[in-house]
Amino acid sequence: MERFIVELTVANHCGVLNRITGLYAKRKYNIDSLTVHETRDPALSVMRIVSCGDTAIQQQMTRQLRKLFDVKTVVLLNNSTL
Amino acid sequence: MKKSGAAIVIDALCRNGADTVFGYPGGAVLPIYDELYKNAHRINHVLCAHEQNAAHAADGFARVSGKPGVVIATSGPGATNLVTGIANAYLDSVPLVAITGNVAVPLLGRDSFQEVDITGITQEIVKHNFAVSDIKDLNGILDAAFQIASSGRPGPVLVDIPKSIQTDMCDESEYTSQELFFNSLPEVDLSETLRLIESAERPLIYSGGGVVSSGASDELLALAKRISAPVTFSMMGLTALPANEPLNLGMCGMHGTASSAKMFTECDLIIALGVRFSDRATGNTAKYKEGKKIIHVDIDHAEINKNTAADVELCGEVKAVLQQLLQKLPRIAHPEWEKACAKAKKLDFHPVSDQLNPVNLLKTVASYCTPDTVIATDVGQHQMWTMQYFPFQTPRTLLTSGGLGTMGFGLGAAIGGCIANDRKPTVLFTGDGSFGMCLQELATAVSQNLPLTIVIFNNGVLGMVRQWQTMFYDKHYSHTTLNRKTDFAALARAFGAKGKKITRLVELERALFNPPADTPLVLDCQLDMDEFVLPMIPPGGSVSDLITQRN
Repeated sequence: MERFIVELTVANHCGVLNRITGLYAKRKYNIDSLTVHETRDPALSVMRIVSCGDTAIQQQMTRQLRKLFDVKTVVLLNNSTL
Repeated sequence: MKKSGAAIVIDALCRNGADTVFGYPGGAVLPIYDELYKNAHRINHVLCAHEQNAAHAADGFARVSGKPGVVIATSGPGATNLVTGIANAYLDSVPLVAITGNVAVPLLGRDSFQEVDITGITQEIVKHNFAVSDIKDLNGILDAAFQIASSGRPGPVLVDIPKSIQTDMCDESEYTSQELFFNSLPEVDLSETLRLIESAERPLIYSGGGVVSSGASDELLALAKRISAPVTFSMMGLTALPANEPLNLGMCGMHGTASSAKMFTECDLIIALGVRFSDRATGNTAKYKEGKKIIHVDIDHAEINKNTAADVELCGEVKAVLQQLLQKLPRIAHPEWEKACAKAKKLDFHPVSDQLNPVNLLKTVASYCTPDTVIATDVGQHQMWTMQYFPFQTPRTLLTSGGLGTMGFGLGAAIGGCIANDRKPTVLFTGDGSFGMCLQELATAVSQNLPLTIVIFNNGVLGMVRQWQTMFYDKHYSHTTLNRKTDFAALARAFGAKGKKITRLVELERALFNPPADTPLVLDCQLDMDEFVLPMIPPGGSVSDLITQRN
């Protein structure tokens, strides 16, 4: 199990954080830490979510996140990408 | 010109091709229903008896027509009654647009009368949902809802519209468009796929709902013939090839055919098309892959490697991927493998008798159907027997609850499917348990004058659970013996339908010979409570654990 970070650019409106964390809960993955902030473009926010999981879990989570219509980009940061 | 929110809803429905909608009125959707009243010439609203069944009807309509089904419900209990129907559509990737009313904007968040947070409640069972907070967004949201529901991997979308927004007025010049981020698909590279297919000696195709929803039956058959690959189906994919096609092995998995289990054991390559390797289709996933390579084609990138690791992943619409593949793939004959397929199919032989039993019941009804007859089922033993014995001929003729396994799905779905199929004769196979969960919807089948033949597999028990209790719980029949005294034929008559109790096969023949053209017909077929669905792979087992006979 490796610690990994998912960096998301998402729409900045109410309910988006709920969708993201709901997806983690639904797929039974734990969030170890989470930061959210607005970007220079007030329509977008950036989220960084730290979790633990093997490469299969990392791939599954990033693919599930990309399906959300409030998620613009998904970047996976782990031992091999950092 | 300014339009009300309710008028914007009606125009958006028409613009998106929704000429038929299902629903149930209530306080928080009164403005929308007022517009439906004025626009009856443009939109046919089918009034159901219960919102859950209305959602199943919209689901059945979508499965038959290929267009998004639309269901409308009021706030609070109207909205929560949709939940099972939405979850059902989500698990089976059915395009559905659910429109709910909510209390007026100033009353939101105050636990007002009939207020629930339906976007919160449905968040994990929709492809996307919207809570409209400004009338300027309404038009764009509705267009986006239809686009999301029907594009990519289809699914349900819910739009929650407060009553005050339905009555607000807005000019077209003020409309906003929704900024949504659609996921782009990765490039398809066929080189590794071609190499794997060319080196395989015993290829097997595992075909699913993605083949039906993308209309890829021709491509599927072409691929199967090109490489001598028999085809086995998930339940969602079963109608993609005609039952009498020599390479069609029928359904795989827990209650799949013996032939599909046999060929699965022996194959060295699985070409998985528009499937998600559900536990009901694969059994024990650790043993599933032993000695086999897997090529997985699916439009949903997250389905690939989710349940079973693929050796090659092709992310894209099944039809488009197969068309590309067929352009490059040479004919690779495996005559021995085709012979093995023909031999394995003999395992699926069913002895003939004149008893009223599940096989005969299904074969008799089938003999009165045409290739395009829409067949709906509920959930349980009768559903599995339908998959095993009904000779499906045409894609989109099977309406069944695959992923969610929703008892009570069938009658609503049959109503929606019948209406989508130009109100042609439609059949529902159900059980006495499942039918008990939705039978108030008979009222709708009667008010709509639908030629539904409802065949109840009446064994007085919850047969599938009883079967498990027999096999795995020492015959402890805990709460599966119904002890009801329901007279389904009399019940049908009470609803204004026709009904008949069937105890012998010849009575079934007589009843089916001349069914009423504009009234539902309920056939209450008396069956033995200890019929088993076989073959069966026990839960968590693999094909090597297949049970074919009762001991």
